[in-house]
Amino acid sequence: MPRIRFTNLFAERIGGVNSVDVQGATVESSLHALTDRHPDLTPLVWAKDGALNSVMVLFLNDRQLGAREIGTSVGPGDEIDIVPALEGG
Amino acid sequence: MRTSFNGSRSEPGAVAYSRATVDLASRDVRFEDVPCRNLEDVLGGFGRSFQILAERTVTHAYTPENPLIINTGVLTASNVTTGLRTYFSAYSPLKASDKGLPAAMWSAGSCKFGPKLKWTGLDEVILEGRADAPVYLVIRHSEAGPQIAFEPAGDLVGLTCHQKIMWLKERYTDAHFAAIGPAGEHYEDCYMASVALSTENQLRSGDDKCRWAGRGGMGAVMGYKRVLAIVAQAPDKIAKLKPEIRDINKAVTSGPGSRKFREKEKGGLGGTWSNYEPLEKFHFVPQNNFRPTGDGKPELMFRDNVQPNFVVKAESCFRCGISCHKNVYEKNEDGTRGTFLAKFDYEPVNLLSTNLGIHDPRKAATLIALVDRLGMDNISLGTTISYVMDYNSRHPDAPILNGATFGDFEKARELVEGAGTGRFPEVGRGVKRLSQSLGETGYAMHCKGLEFPAYQPDTNPGYPWAIAGGHMSMATYMAVALEGNTSLDYWATLITTRGLLFVRDDLLGLCKFAGVTGDHAVEALKQEAGIEVTTAEMLAAVRRAFVRALWLERRQGYERAEYTLPSEVFDRPNANLGVPPFVTREFFSDLSDRVWAVFDPEIDQMANGMKA
Repeated sequence: MPRIRFTNLFAERIGGVNSVDVQGATVESSLHALTDRHPDLTPLVWAKDGALNSVMVLFLNDRQLGAREIGTSVGPGDEIDIVPALEGG
Repeated sequence: MRTSFNGSRSEPGAVAYSRATVDLASRDVRFEDVPCRNLEDVLGGFGRSFQILAERTVTHAYTPENPLIINTGVLTASNVTTGLRTYFSAYSPLKASDKGLPAAMWSAGSCKFGPKLKWTGLDEVILEGRADAPVYLVIRHSEAGPQIAFEPAGDLVGLTCHQKIMWLKERYTDAHFAAIGPAGEHYEDCYMASVALSTENQLRSGDDKCRWAGRGGMGAVMGYKRVLAIVAQAPDKIAKLKPEIRDINKAVTSGPGSRKFREKEKGGLGGTWSNYEPLEKFHFVPQNNFRPTGDGKPELMFRDNVQPNFVVKAESCFRCGISCHKNVYEKNEDGTRGTFLAKFDYEPVNLLSTNLGIHDPRKAATLIALVDRLGMDNISLGTTISYVMDYNSRHPDAPILNGATFGDFEKARELVEGAGTGRFPEVGRGVKRLSQSLGETGYAMHCKGLEFPAYQPDTNPGYPWAIAGGHMSMATYMAVALEGNTSLDYWATLITTRGLLFVRDDLLGLCKFAGVTGDHAVEALKQEAGIEVTTAEMLAAVRRAFVRALWLERRQGYERAEYTLPSEVFDRPNANLGVPPFVTREFFSDLSDRVWAVFDPEIDQMANGMKA
């Protein structure tokens, strides 16, 4: 079961939780599992056309994923980070 | 900070903090332990300082009655990573209501001055009155407790922030320093002067690498008081690292919350400078006084485009593993690192280059370094200069000041220099005053007298409710890019709930951009300060501190009409932006009604509580 970790931007919408374990065979299906469980996160994760939100960046086990790698397979113990490319000032 | 819990470890009255009150005129110094009145007092930062400011009647920033409060957060100097904040609070010369009354303001800076101050044995220093001649203060640790001495500062007059700090470094070992620059010494003509805080890297390398309490003119208040610098001298008192804190630090420095600020080779995204790329996707990068053109020029300042010609080195504050400082150096012919040029963060880079129509990283570095040397807030200054350029572009036959227009680097440099040395008070006093004197306020990019950071007001109707700077005290400035939601419900909820909680770390003593989670903050309070509160209790205290700041604004004369945006946002929508204009007058009026419907009762309750 992969774990999805995220920043306070996400956590503050779901009671302060900063990571969620989900069922998913790929990064993409894991993210769908996340937003199925926590619909409040949907606008952060997904664009209106169903693609990944263009300002979000994905990491799988500390490696940044390219835009076309959202279909990468994941398994138990894998860590997916979703972080905004916009922060700070 | 001293605790004497008897049972519950959440009782504020069982916590006392150590304060020194310094009368600059008489040179009397009073030390006392002050019992906390509430959780805001315990947490510190502006949560405490604004309660002190609320007790004062101050009608002008430059009066002896206006205190300058230098304090820390409960986690400053703790083992929690980024626990390095020092806060400077006072009634601001820059942020003022239309009635002319100064607003309460705080500004925060990092690195080791805050810890050193705390290790002298003090949590807070209040500077009262005004010295009769330039001085610097030496705050020392001693076995008998903290001591404060006055020293004549004649040798420091006219030196840059960095020069002052290096002068002091030669005379005080095991110390860190806060200093103002020439701008602070010209406080009458420069309301946007900042306070520089020394860094370990700076003291070691001799490079001009200060950190800054930049916003709101706290350096100008210090200049008015004729305090040119403060020395905090104490041995380091680093406690043994508890396993619980080690785990928190690991989560912060290697977790998702700090990825944005880490280097790519450390699993990061390269720092705030890299905000250029995602913002430019929407044409949200300010150009030519917050009027993006869609011409692609912002790309010239993308880190990937700048880096080949320079060396960019990620450096850090004291004991921080995130290394968010992206320091730009000359590149020697052999590719090695040459002379230090400037620290590149998104705000100064944008506001001193792209937003001035200047698209050259070397020129940007020159302006950033000059602003730092003189000791000014690069946000307020950059935004005021972009207004000057905009005005001159609109009035080619009757330009003001030196006639600077967009893209004119030499004239921009002249304006920076003139603002910091008192030659151009029209610039140094900020864009609100300048635009009012010219009778053209519609494109003066500020709210309540405080200039906008480098995020478009057309995409942030939350700016008016920021209490101490648009990107430091209201987390709405990126919302459209992040979510694309422009509905009234969304914005009313965002401003009155999540947006305001952004100031949490301005009480705690942490860096708000490091992404310390609520649970970690609560655990850190327990482990490092022995204070047991729930996340809900902590956030309730943060909300009270925020509402108190709104109440203070109201008391200083702000009226509802001042909580607005520059009129051109409504009247001259920019079709180049990557979202349809949504901040119409009607939208904003409805939003204001919704936001005040939430805040007004809380402000009234706060007012009643203050009277009681």
